[in-house]
Amino acid sequence: MSVYRRGLVSRWVEGLRYGGGVGQWSWLRHRSTGLGILLYLVVHIWDTFLVIFSPASYDAIMGIYGGKFDGVEYPLLRWAFRLGELGLIASVVFHAVNGLRVILFDLSPIRAVGAQKELFWAVTALFFFIMIPVAFIVIHSLVAEPTTVTAAIMLRLDLVRSFAY
Amino acid sequence: MAVTARSRRVKPAGGFELAAWYFMRISGLFLVFLALGHLCIMHLIHNVESINYNFVSDRWTNPRTGYIWRLWDLTMVNLAILHGFNGLRQILEEWINQAKSRVLLRTGIWIFAGALLLLGNYAILMFVKDADYLKNRRDAAADAVTVKAGVERSGSPRTRASVVVFDAQR
Amino acid sequence: MSMRTLTVRIKRYVPERDRAPRWEEFKVEADPHDRVLDVIQKVKWDQDETIGLRRSCAHGVCGSDAMRINGVNRLACKVLIKSLPSDVLTLEPILGLPVIKDLIVDMKPFFDHYKSVLPYLINDDPPPTTERLQSPEERARFDDTTRCILCACCTAACPPFWGDDKYVGPAAIVNAHRFIFDSRDRGAAERLDILNDTEGVWRCRTVFNCTNACPREIKVTQAIQEVKQALLTGEVDTHSIVNIHQET
Repeated sequence: MSVYRRGLVSRWVEGLRYGGGVGQWSWLRHRSTGLGILLYLVVHIWDTFLVIFSPASYDAIMGIYGGKFDGVEYPLLRWAFRLGELGLIASVVFHAVNGLRVILFDLSPIRAVGAQKELFWAVTALFFFIMIPVAFIVIHSLVAEPTTVTAAIMLRLDLVRSFAY
Repeated sequence: MAVTARSRRVKPAGGFELAAWYFMRISGLFLVFLALGHLCIMHLIHNVESINYNFVSDRWTNPRTGYIWRLWDLTMVNLAILHGFNGLRQILEEWINQAKSRVLLRTGIWIFAGALLLLGNYAILMFVKDADYLKNRRDAAADAVTVKAGVERSGSPRTRASVVVFDAQR
Repeated sequence: MSMRTLTVRIKRYVPERDRAPRWEEFKVEADPHDRVLDVIQKVKWDQDETIGLRRSCAHGVCGSDAMRINGVNRLACKVLIKSLPSDVLTLEPILGLPVIKDLIVDMKPFFDHYKSVLPYLINDDPPPTTERLQSPEERARFDDTTRCILCACCTAACPPFWGDDKYVGPAAIVNAHRFIFDSRDRGAAERLDILNDTEGVWRCRTVFNCTNACPREIKVTQAIQEVKQALLTGEVDTHSIVNIHQET
């Protein structure tokens, strides 16, 4: 008798079609953001290693992150990297906040596990609470000259910068 | 009516997977602060476009705070690599469940992670400021400024602001 | 309520005919008070007698007609037609287990995992002259997990199990929980040792698909988390669920 066993691809596709609840989507997002962050981490360790190996190459790479290649600025490249930066921050923020949700399940097998749907919405709310101002800051620096208000904030930021760097 | 004690002690469990489970939770908690703090400093307070060799060397060699940043980065890089690669191992082992393949997988993952740990730790611990490079770079920048004098300045306002701060510090 | 005309899409796999499963469609008149199982039987009796499915009691107790109904694992005998949001009904075999024919999967791997956690009372103490007594609180401690009917809805809804069929799966852990937290049982340490493994409770990623799929509404994820906590603390509270509640 021959039975049908699903292959790797089929299991993936069928799994994604499964109508799981918020838990399944949290799990999938946690996993994909984790993999994305790990990929960037590997690249980031290599580029930071250049700081000791070759300062000139380090500056060149940092220039590329800023949208500059060989001293010439390419607006499209700059936008691509800023959006990538936003994606990275969003990934880390989601992974961190959802990670706290997972830890809560371990600490409190009854109360937290019983409130998993509420916790999902709490994670979502906290994620947007953090990401909306962050997205504003990252995009604002690309598109706008400082207004009176933002200039005042920038001045405060310069003070912070001289301590935290 | 009391037939048995309220709770029973069983032999405290050990084993690799339990230790890995503990590690993921504890390193995760640390990384929430370390990684989010790092992102906050590098991407919000500063700007990726203002980060360069000058910035990093100042940061790591500052006589007052350099040790703190190096300790921060050291803890973060070690925890992040172990957390990330253990996560990768757990994901891949879901799809690779033959004993032999798993041994190969684990060996590969830990060799790769070990190499990255070495690179990361070496860069942070052994860093010394390359004064010649910075001097050459400053000279070149000064030449460029002379040439460009009077021409409208380019770059984002935030990039400009932080450049001013760092020039003032030197 | 009036009759509904349903489009029933069934994922067919006939080993003599098909190399891989394929969709087949049937049109059926269904009473809103019918259950999905009735609709399948109608198709089988009136349109295509070769459709393969498992069923026995047809009242949600035996657990033999677990299948994927409109994308989620359910017992066909417990889903009413009036609860369907649209007139398209998709039926597929549950995931993670080899398909024998149409909606019938090979349950052997599932029952092997079940057996691996020693799902029976272990107590080598000298037999008492009366029954082994248990207080109501002690009985309540594991009441939730006694209700499992081994239908495989949970295990076949678990993403880690889809990838790794060596994982014991939620159903086996639920049945381990049923004995680990039973005050009359003495095999907790042995079972916890079995579950303290890469393919034991640590494969659980708290996806909650199991809890959502359980037709008996067992709090499956909670049971798994309680077993994890017993492994971490080395303590098995067999008295009452409230004690653990207060501690956490």
